[in-house]
Amino acid sequence: MTGRNPGKPDRFSRPAKLTAAGPVVQIQGLSKTYTVNEQEAGAKATIHGIFHRKKTEVPAVDDITFSMMPGEIVGFLGPNGAGKTTTLKMLSGLLYPTRGNATVLGHVPWKREKTFLRQITLVMGQRNQLVWDIAPIHSFELNRVIYRIPPADYQQVLKELTELLELGPLLTKPVRNLSLGERMKCEIAAALLHRPQVVFLDEPTIGLDVTMQRRIRSFIAEYNKRFGATVLMTSHYMADVAALCRRVVVIHHGHLLFDGELALLLQKFTSHKTISIQLGECQADLTAYGEVLSCEDGRYTLRVPKAETARITERLLANLPVVDLLVEDPPIEEVIDRVFTEWNP
Amino acid sequence: MKSLFQLYIQQFKTTFATMFQYRASLVIWMIGQVLEPLVYLIVWSTVSNGNGGSIGTYTTATFAAYFIILMLVNQFTYTWVMFDYEYRIREGYLSFALLKPVHPIHSDIADNIMSKTITLPILTVIAIGLAFAFHASLNVTPWLAVLFIPGLLLAFALRFLLEWTLAQCAFWTTRVSAINQIYFFLLLFLSGQIAPLSLLPRAVQIAAKILPFYWTIGFPTELLLGKITVTGALIGLGVQIVWVAIAVFLVRVVWRLGVKAYAAVGQ
Amino acid sequence: MSYFRLVRVFFRVNLVGEVAYRINFFINLFQSILGLGTALLGMAIIFSFTGSLGGWRPNEILALVGVYVLIGGIIRFTIQPGMEQLIESVRDGTFDFTLTKPEDAQLMTGISRFGIWEIINICLGFALLVIALVRLGGNIGGLAALEFVAMLLTGAVIIYSFFLILATLAFWLVRVENILTIFQSMYEAGRWPVSLYPAWLRYGLTFVIPVAFATTVPVEALTNRLNGVTLLVAFGLAVILALVSRAFWKIGLKHYSGTSA
Repeated sequence: MTGRNPGKPDRFSRPAKLTAAGPVVQIQGLSKTYTVNEQEAGAKATIHGIFHRKKTEVPAVDDITFSMMPGEIVGFLGPNGAGKTTTLKMLSGLLYPTRGNATVLGHVPWKREKTFLRQITLVMGQRNQLVWDIAPIHSFELNRVIYRIPPADYQQVLKELTELLELGPLLTKPVRNLSLGERMKCEIAAALLHRPQVVFLDEPTIGLDVTMQRRIRSFIAEYNKRFGATVLMTSHYMADVAALCRRVVVIHHGHLLFDGELALLLQKFTSHKTISIQLGECQADLTAYGEVLSCEDGRYTLRVPKAETARITERLLANLPVVDLLVEDPPIEEVIDRVFTEWNP
Repeated sequence: MKSLFQLYIQQFKTTFATMFQYRASLVIWMIGQVLEPLVYLIVWSTVSNGNGGSIGTYTTATFAAYFIILMLVNQFTYTWVMFDYEYRIREGYLSFALLKPVHPIHSDIADNIMSKTITLPILTVIAIGLAFAFHASLNVTPWLAVLFIPGLLLAFALRFLLEWTLAQCAFWTTRVSAINQIYFFLLLFLSGQIAPLSLLPRAVQIAAKILPFYWTIGFPTELLLGKITVTGALIGLGVQIVWVAIAVFLVRVVWRLGVKAYAAVGQ
Repeated sequence: MSYFRLVRVFFRVNLVGEVAYRINFFINLFQSILGLGTALLGMAIIFSFTGSLGGWRPNEILALVGVYVLIGGIIRFTIQPGMEQLIESVRDGTFDFTLTKPEDAQLMTGISRFGIWEIINICLGFALLVIALVRLGGNIGGLAALEFVAMLLTGAVIIYSFFLILATLAFWLVRVENILTIFQSMYEAGRWPVSLYPAWLRYGLTFVIPVAFATTVPVEALTNRLNGVTLLVAFGLAVILALVSRAFWKIGLKHYSGTSA
């Protein structure tokens, strides 16, 4: 049985075709609870523990529901241990859920059908699928045959990825000789060789320096624009999410807290503004105007309630020798922290 | 089928490139592979010489031939996945394997074959040298030599499948080194590595022929040595086929159970 | 004396990490017994066909196996882990921390890591040795016993120096992770008397990879087989290797400090 299966669409010579204008990813009431055996110290407890294991249930993901349309880039936000990686692993078929269901491209992920696996990819930050001792190009070739990529298409994709990610000199150096950033770029390339329609990214920029983070971010944006792949990305760098995702899904303690536009999230949970004012020096006491966050070389940073911003600004300008004044939104990190802390489980 | 063939070719290239990086370790490891059967060869030769030149049906020269052939058969059939597997699971490589649309056993098979393509010729040369040094004598019966080939191939298939199944234990426990040690203990005594099976007590011989261990190393070795009748050889091949079928079944079942266990818990 | 306090501290750190789970003890005990059982069973099979192996009687071989397990345990308890740690730390740069400590770097590498569970093998080996000695009866004179202890000690020095030379290579060669396994592979041959082996193998096991000095030579002393030449060679080799390895180590240190910024 050689040659391509005539029933399957040739996804390489035509741009990503949408079979139906329906959601690519659909999650319904998805939950995952881990059962953990308790380890106890002490001889008696250990021997007792061999026969009666005390189990505790750790809910990692609890009843989440959302969908993604083709070509969306969605940011999956949450602190460590919130359940982001667990969700991604369920969507890529690595984990069985405890309850609920999900379909990705019409397949149930944990059935791990070959046709499903050929259309998705999962990139895990700081985890390598590349063979360690040899050059990335060998691992690329391996993926080429595993995913049955036709040689001409493979050359094309390789050329594009090499260009977009600036891989040129890296392809022939053993992976263990590459820096963390270079390795990550090659990992991403290896994961995209088969032009998956759905791309799961788990902390893709973790541990990388700022320049590299920016480069990978722009690559993801470019890739999404060119090939229309649907991207679900977790990160705890707000810069990643702010730069790439119009829509964010916020998860905390396994629960879905928010699903919508990032701008809306910021607006909803921002109750304060930051006023930056430049005076001569740091001598004055401005606590009457608002919460003084810092002062450096006469530049004060004040935190004031959003509703009072106009009034306080007026008073500051009237009472103090203000050289410069700037009103800003608080940093996104702060807003997100508020989202997490103000939600009561 | 074609894509599977291409996969194997590609994996061969990858293995070769990796082995080239580790050539020094390879040399050191090969020394160990030669030394173990060599030590037993010398010990048994000493015993045989002290006993008037033979023990049972084995003369000193036959002992030499036995252990040299055993060394090569062992080299042809051995695997190492059971040492790796716990590391793979712990470091997350297994997750990547599960994301791929091919069964991970294929890359292990290809890796195994490629590795031996390099080490076997070297070891064969060493074997010939040892054969001269220890005056090994070999009386090859043509029929048995012919049957040796399927016997050897079946032995490899059986051992690979069994040991790959053994490796899957890592899904359920981290105490794999203890489990592996039990396996190698049984293999050492029941496969003919420590002594030709016919020199062991009758009860042990029967147990060894029921269990699969003898059929992975001892049987092909004795085939080439001419220690089995033609009828016995044909029956032996039949037993090997039965064991291979059992092993295939085991691999499928244990793998499926393993993935279920893994996917229930993650890492 | 602060050195011995250091040893205690390192030992305790290694110990605490391992005994957190009591089950570890039972698993390691099981594995050690299985290892010993393998050796004894092999012996039993051989001696079911003969009363003497190259002139060695069963109880003498038993003593040899005891020493084999005991010395193997000691090597994997102290010498090998320390050297492995050295090689690793040179590779990932943490060796710098060792260099900045006030203690001698060579002494530090000897104590940084312990293979805690090898204590089981040390006990088993020692017990087996005692049993073998009892069964050998009162044939062991005071001189033989003295020579035995002396040969054990020279053996220890030889092995330690050998490992140190191998590990020092890490200062020049990057890819030496597995080099210590060469001793492990060859050590297997120490379970039987080295005198059984043909000349070329005997030579290799004595002067290239000094396995003979770890196992056969001490037991030869115990069983009145030791001749004066071997004794002198052992002493001589110990002294030479100790000096050479220390000198080589110093050169290695200079090279390391010279190349790192």
